[in-house]
Amino acid sequence: MKRVTNWLILLVILVAVFASFGYLGVDLLRVFGGDNLSQMSAYAERFLRPDLGTGHLRAIGYGALETLAMSALGTLLAAVLGLFLALPAAGRFGWPLAGFARLVLNALRAIPELVWAALMVLAAGLGPNAGTLALALHTAGVLGRLFAEALENTPAAPADAIRLQGGGQIAAFCYGTLPNLWPQLLAYMLYRWENNIRMATILGFVGAGGLGQMLYVSLSLFQEPQASTVILAMLVLVFLVDALSVWMRQRWVRA
Amino acid sequence: MILGLHRASLRHGKAVQALRNVDLEIEAGERVALIGPSGAGKSSLLNVLSTAIKPTEGELRVLGEQPWNMGNRSRQRLRSRIGLVHQAPPIPGRQRVVTAVSAGRLAEWGLARGLLNLLHPLDAEGARKALAELDLADKLFAQCGQLSGGQLQRVGIARVLYQSPELLLADEPVSAMDPVLADHTLGVLCRNARERNVTLVASLHNVELALAHFPRVIGLRDGQVMFDCAAADVAPERLRALYANEHLVPAPAAEADAMAVQIPRC
Repeated sequence: MKRVTNWLILLVILVAVFASFGYLGVDLLRVFGGDNLSQMSAYAERFLRPDLGTGHLRAIGYGALETLAMSALGTLLAAVLGLFLALPAAGRFGWPLAGFARLVLNALRAIPELVWAALMVLAAGLGPNAGTLALALHTAGVLGRLFAEALENTPAAPADAIRLQGGGQIAAFCYGTLPNLWPQLLAYMLYRWENNIRMATILGFVGAGGLGQMLYVSLSLFQEPQASTVILAMLVLVFLVDALSVWMRQRWVRA
Repeated sequence: MILGLHRASLRHGKAVQALRNVDLEIEAGERVALIGPSGAGKSSLLNVLSTAIKPTEGELRVLGEQPWNMGNRSRQRLRSRIGLVHQAPPIPGRQRVVTAVSAGRLAEWGLARGLLNLLHPLDAEGARKALAELDLADKLFAQCGQLSGGQLQRVGIARVLYQSPELLLADEPVSAMDPVLADHTLGVLCRNARERNVTLVASLHNVELALAHFPRVIGLRDGQVMFDCAAADVAPERLRALYANEHLVPAPAAEADAMAVQIPRC
């Protein structure tokens, strides 16, 4: 009986796979048929001659700067907003506020950056303004949740001891909790910054500025050499930020 | 009377009775040692006296006030006059010694000065003086996480000395130190208490140290006071009864709770 069921399940999966090919109109054979292969190689070849003219490079420099600024500012705003939401979410101000803060964090996080960016382009107009806000809103949800978890996992004894000798709540937080907490917060922020620099390069596709917008425009106009330079610039930018964040992590988080 | 307990009991949950009907009176300027086997309720008693835990039953009077019959704000003000040396110093490993010691005066300083002190130590000289009494002045700018258990305990003591409270409570203040250092440190603590006319109550698991440094000794067992007398009157048979079926083992060295940092990679 069990064997028959297994065969049946396998059959259903096979039928589903073939039905999907038919329904979506995917024809793998045609990809390799006719002169398609040579067309593909010709298309790829056009990418192998990046446009390195000074005018284009300067434009890319500005674009890269815009993307970098968008991701850095977006992450910083998100960290501030996230910390303000993480304190109530970790239950510091009672359970009603904790529930509300968690709800807000989940809502911010559930909506992807691209959707936020599309919304913000409508609200704040085309350009890096919208991209920064989109990154800040989504990342605030992510960082807020991570910060809240870190807050809950930090030992309470040092802060309690400050309270016991008459210190105030804020002093107890800064002297007792923060010293153990901030390396973890910094590690999370650097991690999200790395994510956001990659995200910021894409946000331009919905009109939110930076390298992404340049790539979108060049590809739309079939300017493969220009597009290829933009892609190279994106790679360089991501590598640079990764190296910078590794350095910062070693300097401040590991010590 | 500067410290008084009247028929105080403390229960942790339903099963554990940490203190039973304890009556205690301590006058200003007295130096009292608490001794007794592990689990006798020494730490519980000190936690009650320092207003960290409210006794389940009974009445506590500290420095002429009843801490559990007053508002939060006045209790915090009262707490700034009480210093507690913790057995495991509750000091973050990434804090510098100078910051950890100066945290002793946070209540006196207020918020603005406290936050400013985080950026730049405002009274490094005062902190150095408190540390110098414990032979630790050279560690003023060290990270607390890099100190040994005994050094960290002395930083905890220096913080309370810097706080200069009217009532000094100490929970196993020398448990992570070698015998010579423990003797010396207790001497410093007692001399300080005498010179500033501060009341000192310390729990100790080392009976010789208790008898050598403290005029009055209280023996605790099963959450009850077994004896309360002058150090000279503590007879060997009383000690044998106090520690019956118990062995004097040194407490494990206090360890700083280091927080492991998770680094997500993608």
